[in-house]
Amino acid sequence: MIREFYEKINGDYEVAISRMQNDERIKKYLGFFLADESYNQLENAMNNEDCDAAFIGAHTLKGVCQNMAFTELSRVAEQITEELRSKEFDKAKETFPKVKIEYKRVIEEIKNVL
Amino acid sequence: MEERDTLLIVDDVKINRELLKDIFEDGEYKILEASNGEEAIELLDAHKDEIALLFLDLVMPKKNGLDVMHHMSLNNMIDTIPVIMITGEATVESDVKTYELGAADIIYKPFEPAVVTRRAKNIIELYQHRISIENELELRTQELFESKRQIEQNNRFLINALASVVEFRSLESGEHIQRVKKFTDIMLRHWRALYGEKQFSDEQIELIVDASALHDIGKIAIPDKILLKPERFNDEEYEEMKKHTIYGCKMLEKFKQEENEFYNYCYDICRYHHERYDGRGYPDGLSGDNIPVWAQIVSIVDVYDALVSRRVYKDSFSMEETFRMINDGECGVFSPKLLKCFNDARDDLISNTTKEQMGEEE
Repeated sequence: MIREFYEKINGDYEVAISRMQNDERIKKYLGFFLADESYNQLENAMNNEDCDAAFIGAHTLKGVCQNMAFTELSRVAEQITEELRSKEFDKAKETFPKVKIEYKRVIEEIKNVL
Repeated sequence: MEERDTLLIVDDVKINRELLKDIFEDGEYKILEASNGEEAIELLDAHKDEIALLFLDLVMPKKNGLDVMHHMSLNNMIDTIPVIMITGEATVESDVKTYELGAADIIYKPFEPAVVTRRAKNIIELYQHRISIENELELRTQELFESKRQIEQNNRFLINALASVVEFRSLESGEHIQRVKKFTDIMLRHWRALYGEKQFSDEQIELIVDASALHDIGKIAIPDKILLKPERFNDEEYEEMKKHTIYGCKMLEKFKQEENEFYNYCYDICRYHHERYDGRGYPDGLSGDNIPVWAQIVSIVDVYDALVSRRVYKDSFSMEETFRMINDGECGVFSPKLLKCFNDARDDLISNTTKEQMGEEE
């Protein structure tokens, strides 16, 4: 079930299981991910055109996704993080919808498995 | 010291903290958590002797990782609590900067449990090992210092005992030697103040002052009928009396120590403390700067003490008269440099000369 979840969201189940030991524990972390605020921080900051705050949100989101082995979401999160780090806000605005789509997909699928 | 048994995990993201906690779930360590720099600093202050390792995120709200490191540097925690910096990306600049701040190591997200536990264990062991070595070293240094102090104290006791043997035999009060030591010390410090720091160091002053106690040690070999004679010596007796400088050296030579600074001071002072600047002293008739400064100083101090003290065969001279006689060369010629120092030390010498010694109370 968790393996299928990872397939659906383009994640790496093998890495996740080696890191978190078992499915039960992965579920615990999926629960934490639902409660994590970093995406909301990023979204609010993008709406407010606050480049610095957006960077912190994106940076945190990237770190979390890497730890969770959400391969695709961490890829786009990394892209927007680097754009925000170098203050290319227009580029980041183009990238943000991709982050949003991936994030929503992951959230939907998490709700399905929990 | 108590073994440190606590890990402090500082990251604003709960998932990251939980991952680290799970890695150390075996219970070997107690875990403390903070979600921002401010909380981290509070926990550090409260548990600084228990924390074995700090995992620290760099980017956080309310004081970031750098603020925490800064606080640790200011409060001397950086040498006892190793910091492993948690970072998302590896760039050479940020890594170098992190190490410069005093971080012990860096781990990159995502965490690999096996790597994290191994590194943490290594670093904890390294730091605890270093701390215990430093404590051990500190203890040894103290012991060494204490035994050095003890040896110095014993040495001083022996030197004083040896020096006072002569005084007891000559039925003097035994205080002449203590006064010569005190006056020598005063003169050496004024000499240093007048003529520069190169001569003499505090250690050298201590050695010379100790050596000055032995200046008359050779008198032990002078027969009673001369040494204890209250009247003025005849020529023959005076010649014999002068030999106490040579006798002292002969005694020292039996225990000669090559290249030993203290031995050299003792020898020079025993032998040359009756030499005079114009070459008219004894036993060798040395003149000018051929007489070592320390021997010159003891010679003027010896004369000064003899003049201001009441003896069986004479009254004490007044301070005024004493200084005049020495400056005018009535007790032999001293070098201008030495006289300048002697006059410079005048107030110090006078304030350390007692009325009792001058016989004014009787």
